[in-house]
Amino acid sequence: MPTFVYMARCDGCGECVDICPSDIMHIDKTYRRAYNIEPNFCWECYSCVKACPQNAIDVRGYADFAPLGHSVRVLREEDKQTVSWKVKFRDGREKNFVSPIRTTPWGSIKSPADYDAPSPDAFKTQELSHEPDALNIDSLPTLSTSKFKIGVI
Amino acid sequence: MFTSNPFAELGVFLPPLAMQAYIVAAIIAVAGGTVFDMLHKSSAKFFSMYLERSKAAATKTLSSGDKASIAVKTLAVEIATSAEFCNPQRRISHLFMFYGFILYCTTTITMVFGYPTPATPTPVALPLLWNLGAVMILIGGYWFFFFLRVNVAKDGQPVFRLVRADLFIVTLLASVTFALVWEFAQSTGNPTATKVALGLYLFFTTALFGSVAWSKLPHMFYKPVMAFQRRVEEADGSSSLPSPVATHEGR
Repeated sequence: MPTFVYMARCDGCGECVDICPSDIMHIDKTYRRAYNIEPNFCWECYSCVKACPQNAIDVRGYADFAPLGHSVRVLREEDKQTVSWKVKFRDGREKNFVSPIRTTPWGSIKSPADYDAPSPDAFKTQELSHEPDALNIDSLPTLSTSKFKIGVI
Repeated sequence: MFTSNPFAELGVFLPPLAMQAYIVAAIIAVAGGTVFDMLHKSSAKFFSMYLERSKAAATKTLSSGDKASIAVKTLAVEIATSAEFCNPQRRISHLFMFYGFILYCTTTITMVFGYPTPATPTPVALPLLWNLGAVMILIGGYWFFFFLRVNVAKDGQPVFRLVRADLFIVTLLASVTFALVWEFAQSTGNPTATKVALGLYLFFTTALFGSVAWSKLPHMFYKPVMAFQRRVEEADGSSSLPSPVATHEGR
């Protein structure tokens, strides 16, 4: 189900270029609009579909197993913290879904830049960045050496 | 420099009729280029098919009053304030170019047709507005060219690697820049510099209006039509997009 762009809707803002994890959303040289340069490499993650402020990106099935003529459209409303989906089937059926964008309040998660830089000693520990605080636990569980298999010590 | 009609001074090189014929030719080139572009890309055919599909999917019929109201909203929002742009910087840059271009073109046409020679004194406001329009185009245009072009800002391309999408902005900026250079050269009284600047101004202006079929200039016709159609689809229920949450049935 690779993505494609409705050229008449796209205003060439580049949000999809920024967000695409596969780096396949690029800018067309003739019209300066976004397009998927390699549909075969599309992960179908829908990141660009949801991020597009103009609702200009849709997905389509491969013609050999998903008949053309359907559409999967999304409307992201950050102010209402909802994401709505409208799925139109080729036979005319239509399904609508509304979900919360996220389960925590908008803006409540700190960006990596908001955290203090780790101290040099932190690089010597087994913990990953911001652990254990970011996991909301006091400390990570550990095994005592008595529980190790003989020969491992 | 800013208060004298540069086209009246041009009478030394060109008869007024030649300047007027050039402007008529430019208008014909824009209209012809746009029609050629629509036929060549089959965009007119695509749009008529799109309209048919949209009409078939409509759940309610809009009255002519509804459509007039939508047209007014499109004019006030998408056209007059460039609200389509989600990036505020691009929106401001576009507004500079949009209103600058309107000022620049209308004052050019007025001065060339109304005050083509020094014998018919030009009101001071016209050259002032012409310069203001040109400066607005240059502010918005160079801002866009160096910092806001999406292939440069987001796709990481070098600023001076020009592609076909740059044809419009480059010819527009070059034309307006050399228009001001020509006006300045006139004010210095150097005939060689004036002729060179005039030649470059005419070259890039011809390129701007002669390349409509290959450049992005026809967007000034396409974009309002699509903006109107989008609003019609939202109103008549034919839009493939989900309805905003507040209007969902049963919510």
